[in-house]
Amino acid sequence: MSAAATVPLLEVKGLEKSFPGVRALSGVSFDVRPGEVHALLGENGAGKSTLIKIVSGVYQPDAGEILIDGRAMRFAAPEDARRAGVATIYQELLLFPELTVAENIFLGHAPRASGGRIDWRAMTAKAEALLASLDIDDLAADQVVGSLSVGHRQRVEILRALSHDARILIMDEPTAALTEADVTRLFAIVRRLKERGVGIVYISHRLDELFQIADRVTVLRDGAWVGARDMADTNAAELVQMMVGRRIDNLFPKIAAPIGAPVLQARGLVRNPTTRDVSLEVRAGEIVGLAGLVGSGRSELAQVLFGITPAERGEIRLDGQAVRIDSPERARAGGIAYVPEDRGAQGLVRAMSVLHNFSLAALGGLSRLGFIDRAAERRMAEAGVLRFGVKTSSVDELAGRLSGGNQQKIVLGKWLANNPKLLILDEPTRGIDVGAKAEIHRLMCELAGEGVAILMISSELPEVLGMSDRVLVMREGRLVAEFDRAHATSQAVGAAMMGGDDPMERAA
Amino acid sequence: MSVFAASPGRRVPKWLARHETLLAIILVAALAGLGAFNNRFLTVDNLLNQGRLMTEIGLIALPMTFVIITGGIDLSVGAIVGLSAVMLGYSWKTFGFPLPLAIAFALAVGGLAGFVNGFVITRVKVPPLIMTIATLALYRGLAEGVSQARSVRGYPEWFYGLGQGEWLGVPTQLLLLVVLIVIAGVALDRTTFGRTLYAIGSNETAARFSALDVDRTKVVIYTLSGLASGLAAVVLVSRVTTTRMDMGMGYELDVIAAVVLGGTSIFGGAGTIWGTVIGLVMIQLLKNGLALTGVKGDATIVVIGVALIMSTLIASSLQRRRE
Repeated sequence: MSAAATVPLLEVKGLEKSFPGVRALSGVSFDVRPGEVHALLGENGAGKSTLIKIVSGVYQPDAGEILIDGRAMRFAAPEDARRAGVATIYQELLLFPELTVAENIFLGHAPRASGGRIDWRAMTAKAEALLASLDIDDLAADQVVGSLSVGHRQRVEILRALSHDARILIMDEPTAALTEADVTRLFAIVRRLKERGVGIVYISHRLDELFQIADRVTVLRDGAWVGARDMADTNAAELVQMMVGRRIDNLFPKIAAPIGAPVLQARGLVRNPTTRDVSLEVRAGEIVGLAGLVGSGRSELAQVLFGITPAERGEIRLDGQAVRIDSPERARAGGIAYVPEDRGAQGLVRAMSVLHNFSLAALGGLSRLGFIDRAAERRMAEAGVLRFGVKTSSVDELAGRLSGGNQQKIVLGKWLANNPKLLILDEPTRGIDVGAKAEIHRLMCELAGEGVAILMISSELPEVLGMSDRVLVMREGRLVAEFDRAHATSQAVGAAMMGGDDPMERAA
Repeated sequence: MSVFAASPGRRVPKWLARHETLLAIILVAALAGLGAFNNRFLTVDNLLNQGRLMTEIGLIALPMTFVIITGGIDLSVGAIVGLSAVMLGYSWKTFGFPLPLAIAFALAVGGLAGFVNGFVITRVKVPPLIMTIATLALYRGLAEGVSQARSVRGYPEWFYGLGQGEWLGVPTQLLLLVVLIVIAGVALDRTTFGRTLYAIGSNETAARFSALDVDRTKVVIYTLSGLASGLAAVVLVSRVTTTRMDMGMGYELDVIAAVVLGGTSIFGGAGTIWGTVIGLVMIQLLKNGLALTGVKGDATIVVIGVALIMSTLIASSLQRRRE
């Protein structure tokens, strides 16, 4: 490739970044040449976001260098990165819906007329010139941004970056919310920017897209650099292997439990637009892993099963009996427990004590005629603290004061107090330390051994593969693949999650 | 037990740092001060009479404490007092209901008015502030329409026993209030219903995800709020011997002031009945004590405003200490 000879627009060397308790990046190097699309690939939590936040000046690295045009730079704030020509387009677009396209583009650096007044005519003219330079003819400078589609808004963000003379454009999952037609148009703009010599850092989970648009790819895993490839010299199988490949067996010690009769049988569940015709079965003693990308509808399915957003169509059977689950109360009565994804917002009442959190889902069993048996409540919470190893000064401590792992144990514990038949765990170990993680995995095995049916949602593929008897893969609201433990390899499951035109999916 | 490490030393004992305790201390100090200035203030007769006067606000303040603990608000209580009072007079005089039936009818109208608030708030997801501002206008308008601005008088003598009579020297309605205070206090502190209120106010989503019946609980508390307003209307009519459509005008502000002064967080999740009772007593006795000492009405309102602000400051500093 002839571009290899030129000085990279952006180069980072040996970046290190730690947050309290987490090593987010260790020794990551990466570069972007003029006119190149360089993709960043990695699982959730691999360090992609940290890397782009360092490059765009949001975080400062603990060690390592950032070079622009071969010169070392220090970005103390996002403002510095922008001045150096780095622009970032985040997943959540940061536009002002009440303002027009031109106003959004030039917010903060509008052309001025004499006396400091904004030169509206020059601003409109410049905005129109920018639109024309990218051959965008279906967007006008005076349109109000709030009325635009997501694809159009994204174009406004790109134009805003260009109005700052950005030469390095970082795009974080730009196609996540786009329709097919918008993706095609986005790619046309990206190709045009390449011709102009803009360097693009492109983050996406969709492998098929990368083969269409990217020149090179760098893979990160657990904050470390795994490898870089020219897109022409690699294939999907190799990339998935690079992303997830690690020794799984030792990390997740799954203990085999006898598998019994089906506890949950769901057929044809529909809840538009996120759950589209889902059928599944979970048996007593079985751990079923539910894999899928963020946004594939996994948590939404869990919330259908738990009655928070009841199914519009379809049938649910518990222990063979058809049941109607139209509220969480019904789900609980049927023996379902749900440990939600967002611990702070959905799982825990942070302003309540450990004691009151423990009893919250079991108040019915702890009370007579509506009066809470406070001695029994305290006994239950203290027993739970001991059983789950919650580290707290007392059960009267506020739950919000405990660490993430201890909070998660409380949320898990409050549901286990109901002796559920079916336990749905949504990202049970996200954001908690390794020790607490191992304890939760051990607990899951223990529960499966007692005959509890477990449905586990996780974005961490090694966890899914390590803990599950069976793996279901969800994509765009549908179950698209199923693997038993022996056949659930990271490549096969990863490919099914990504979907697209990958030949492996047909093989699987 | 080894998992319970010693808790870090606190400078202030826990019971003393409670809002209710501090408020009670301030209350006692204020009473002593006012009593020293005026020898008519700290007399049994005066205090019992003040108890009589604060009962209507107090009755409504109990369910209002529930509502505010969930992070809600009910601004329509004053209008429901007006509507129930009018319904009492109208059904007795115009429909010819026997008075006990008319009382039951007034209570039922109050309860229904509160139920409508709760039903719309939970089903249509209208914010409580908006819904109850709307029904404040609606219920007051209904009261005006039904009564045609005519007042009703001449109730039978026995009816005045509730609002003017006494039992063992204590005003009848004050006994009623005390009984309801105890019931509300126990319900909030000891029952699953009370626990659900705190959970909703602290984190409604987590309450829902814990399979608590959030919507039904909300409908219940707004219905109780309406019912208590209906009861306050009956007591009020009995005390002043007449029914007018503008009864209860502005009550919502007195009620909310008592609840918030008592340490219930307007953001939900915290508060007690005992705090509300202290807030209620404090406002009533401040008003009375200042009036007896010769302070004009306007200045009394200023003092109550200052007390509210002070109470909010204390509450927020206590909150910070806890975090």
